[in-house]
Amino acid sequence: MRYIDEFRDPHLARKLLANIRTRSTQPVCFMEFCGGHTHAIFRHGLRQMLPPTVELRSGPGCPVCVTANGDLDHAIALARLPGVILATFGDMLRVPGSRGSLQTAKAEGADVRVVYSTLDALQIARDHPERAVVFLGIGFETTAPTVAASVLEAEAGSLDNFYVLSLHKLTPPATRAILDEGEVRLSGIIGPGHVTTVIGSDAWEFLPRDYSVPCAVAGFEPLDILRAVAALVEMAEDGQPAVVNAYSRGVRPEGNRTALGIMQRVFEVGEADWRGLGRVPASGLVLRPKYASFDAALAFPVDPGPTREHKGCRCGDVLRGTVEPPDCPLFHRVCTPAHPIGPCMVSAEGACAAW
Amino acid sequence: MCLAIPTLITSIEGTTARAEIGGVERTISLALTPEARVGDYVLIHTGFAIGVLDEEEAQETLRLFEELAEFYPDETETSQPTESTNFPTYQ
Repeated sequence: MRYIDEFRDPHLARKLLANIRTRSTQPVCFMEFCGGHTHAIFRHGLRQMLPPTVELRSGPGCPVCVTANGDLDHAIALARLPGVILATFGDMLRVPGSRGSLQTAKAEGADVRVVYSTLDALQIARDHPERAVVFLGIGFETTAPTVAASVLEAEAGSLDNFYVLSLHKLTPPATRAILDEGEVRLSGIIGPGHVTTVIGSDAWEFLPRDYSVPCAVAGFEPLDILRAVAALVEMAEDGQPAVVNAYSRGVRPEGNRTALGIMQRVFEVGEADWRGLGRVPASGLVLRPKYASFDAALAFPVDPGPTREHKGCRCGDVLRGTVEPPDCPLFHRVCTPAHPIGPCMVSAEGACAAW
Repeated sequence: MCLAIPTLITSIEGTTARAEIGGVERTISLALTPEARVGDYVLIHTGFAIGVLDEEEAQETLRLFEELAEFYPDETETSQPTESTNFPTYQ
């Protein structure tokens, strides 16, 4: 068992598709929350294989894409401070803010470094005790515990030049916000697999309870996604919404309690600005007062200047699932992978990049 | 960004482990999965193991797929079910 090839078997995929075709009679629209799912769906050509009754819609599950322009401007302003090293995951580098990106700031002399892990950022801080290392904390519940663990490691190692700009976001409140707005009628949610490894499938129980919307938590191989779609079709047809854990090898109902414990020790829930959704209460993570000395926003007050949105860019609507990428006037005309205007075209997980 | 790769743990020292990713060995943190053991497959995300994969559950899922394969004997996507109307269920 290597946990990859077994879940890519084309013979079994055909059987799952046969099941979906047989069971699906009424038109349904399912949102895959996670950008990783969007890319897997396109990579394996799953949209084209599904019957015409089953529509899939991309959701807001791309942390890079949902980062608001104002927050990105804040990060760029921090990167430009003398003596600061800004450490970031590579996806953020090319995302255009109001006036340039981290990449253009780097070209103009800012010390911006791409890291694979928060552990790499800690090492940069150890190697440069005379500099302030700011880690750009982007990501959902999958990533936030790793950043929390690095803060605890910095505390244990008395590392006083390591800081975090926490722009972490929580996925259930964003899903609620989309359903509350009601702009797109959804018959089910494909739950984000690796977020749910951390938060547990029980965290999605509010979907059937409060919205009568079924949820199937999915892994990222084609059979995982087809199994989740089959489960959603079954629940939609039977009118019995529930949470189905279609990724039981990696997801438990209670999640990863150690990771949740570390995340909750370091962060508390606060409001967050989302591209497309605006300010959503209780949808972000901020450092607890005990760890305020690691908070880059407090340690380095900066004025990022007024926020400007990109004219014509419809990333916000794409993230809410109200339009699809080809509906954007910029898509593949002026906004291309080589010259992206909006973050959904930049990020490896963005819907426009996948399309 | 929530990409996580199933990876085999080959050795453990304290809260770090060596794991093989695509033929390359690298050090990962077990800070979030202290229960992981040598020989386990874990999900690696940005240098951290975020979950230990459950082999029994994986086998159970594959068994469910095999049951489905028997239910749709034909080899095409428009395969019709067998005489039975008791569809295999996912819940």
